[in-house]
Amino acid sequence: MISKSNAQKRILIINRGEIAARIAKACRELGHTAVGVWTDNEVQAKHLEVCDEWVRLPGSTNAETYLNIPNILAVCKKYEIDGVHPGYGFLSENTEFSKALVDNGITWIGPHPEAVRVMGDKAVSKEFAKKVGMPVVPGSTGAVPTIEEAIKIADQIKYPILLKAVAGGGGRGMRICHNEQDIRNNFEAVQREAASAFKNGDLLVEKFIVNPHHIEVQILADKKGNVFHFFERECSIQRRHQKIVEEAPSPFIGEDEDLRQRVCNSAVNLAKAIKYDSAGTVELIMGENKEFYFLEMNTRIQVEHPITEEITGIDLIVCMIQSAFGEDLGIPSQEWIKRTGHAIECRICAEDPLTMLPAPGVVTGCETNFPQGIRFDNCLYKGLVVTPDFDPMVGKLVAKGIIREVAIRKMRAALDGLLVEGLKTNIPLHKVIMKNEVFLNGKYSTNFIATEKPQEQVDTSMDYTALYKKIAGIEARRMGL
Amino acid sequence: MRNYLIDNDKNEYIVDLIKTRTHSAEMVEFEFRTIKDNLEVHKEKIFVRKLADQYFASTDGVKWNKLARQDSPAIMLNVDKVYKFYQGYKPSSAGGGDEGGLFTQMPGKIVKIMASIGARVEKGQTLIILEAMKMENEIKCGASGIVKAIHVKVGDALENGILMMEVEAEV
Repeated sequence: MISKSNAQKRILIINRGEIAARIAKACRELGHTAVGVWTDNEVQAKHLEVCDEWVRLPGSTNAETYLNIPNILAVCKKYEIDGVHPGYGFLSENTEFSKALVDNGITWIGPHPEAVRVMGDKAVSKEFAKKVGMPVVPGSTGAVPTIEEAIKIADQIKYPILLKAVAGGGGRGMRICHNEQDIRNNFEAVQREAASAFKNGDLLVEKFIVNPHHIEVQILADKKGNVFHFFERECSIQRRHQKIVEEAPSPFIGEDEDLRQRVCNSAVNLAKAIKYDSAGTVELIMGENKEFYFLEMNTRIQVEHPITEEITGIDLIVCMIQSAFGEDLGIPSQEWIKRTGHAIECRICAEDPLTMLPAPGVVTGCETNFPQGIRFDNCLYKGLVVTPDFDPMVGKLVAKGIIREVAIRKMRAALDGLLVEGLKTNIPLHKVIMKNEVFLNGKYSTNFIATEKPQEQVDTSMDYTALYKKIAGIEARRMGL
Repeated sequence: MRNYLIDNDKNEYIVDLIKTRTHSAEMVEFEFRTIKDNLEVHKEKIFVRKLADQYFASTDGVKWNKLARQDSPAIMLNVDKVYKFYQGYKPSSAGGGDEGGLFTQMPGKIVKIMASIGARVEKGQTLIILEAMKMENEIKCGASGIVKAIHVKVGDALENGILMMEVEAEV
């Protein structure tokens, strides 16, 4: 029998890596018991260090472990779990799972299933946004079944267009098409990618906005109908439609407080309309003329939430847990939420800095030597095996400064002080981006990587000094120094 | 001690430790040189000291950087290149592969093979779709020519460095 007080909940974290560790820390802060999970593929997972209890998930594939709903429900019963936090990815936006939990009397630390259902479907969410008065990007009104149908819609809304999966996200299942031939070439590939990644091969056709900015608003709501925004983030630096550098506030919105208010308020209106009751993000696409359109709403905590936490000083994961259990968030009003300074996040990924393709491997060493004001949420440890089964992101480097220039300066120093041995990482690429003039001006769009090509400026010549230092370290240890 | 670094393209760096000087129980000075294509290309002194159970390295004895705790590694990296690392000996055969061979650059699963044996292919043409990290990656042809052999089939899960297809390049 597991003994516990009423206030102390037992929270199962059904995720891995840095986000699992982040959630466990929040649970501990609130006095709850953090129950972490591990699989046979990751016996030494670092997130377990900060958990109070550990549960093994049998099986070797994600489908058998992190996505296995019947087994997770059984685990919840066996370990008398009060609440489940899904993190991001895996089951974070799976209504079948959240409903099953609620039916079993377990709290789902996330939004109510109806919000996830509406916002999880790109076509339905777009309709919903339109209804509540939010501008949307022109495109098909629902799933497009055939290539011919897609071409017909494309002719109406004019090229270039975007083919994307109805259930997509994270840049998977998306292609830009500039003409009819592109659609013919890509339609089936996107369908296939969508079907394998999301078990839903339905596709949408949408107008593609040139030089767009990816702006998103952090939302947090409680079960009493209070909805707050935590200002915006700019996530325009992307490769393969996946973000690699994010910052808050957006340098594109800059000093335009009126625009900022309109952007944030429209996000709050949308969240209120769906009776949102957790942490979420309203993603917008903003053209060069500062007109913005609703893109999608992510009904979960996001990878880049730390930059918002840094500029507002509010712990979003703690609030998310409090909200799920119907507790008070401790936020008296929207005006009470203030932002100070500027925060930048660099996603540290196990990938080749030139091709930006995933480069799995084994971490043989990791050292950090950071300036003040750096936060590094990571799952790195000596012996970590980065496998193709998981996302290649191994850490998030977050720098905060009183102004943007200071944050960039700190980020440069932090990147110099971050040493990951044994696998290729995109750290050299981040170093180039942090010195790129367009980035420094803050006037970059989602085409940044395509037009600036920072990967071509990565210095690939042999770093003899670094090489000698590594070998010297091995020799010194051998000598018994 | 002689160290060998050999990458996938068989580029080879020889790093020799040519001098060791012990300054104290905590500090040692090493002198290294690198030989590439039988020429000495670089030479430098490195100081290593142990402090509070950590190892630090420096080139000038003034500015010190902490060294990562790591065992003798089998591989070493420099930005985008992975080198096999051998200490004291050089393996008789390392790597290999034909011209025009398509090798996996990362572990993944074959989703689609878009050419058949005997087919004429152009440089830059997509020949294989490999799913890795939940993304579909197009494996493109490096040279125009004729497909000579296909060593994989759809659904195969492959390790890094596996020969998937061979293309005989046109002369």
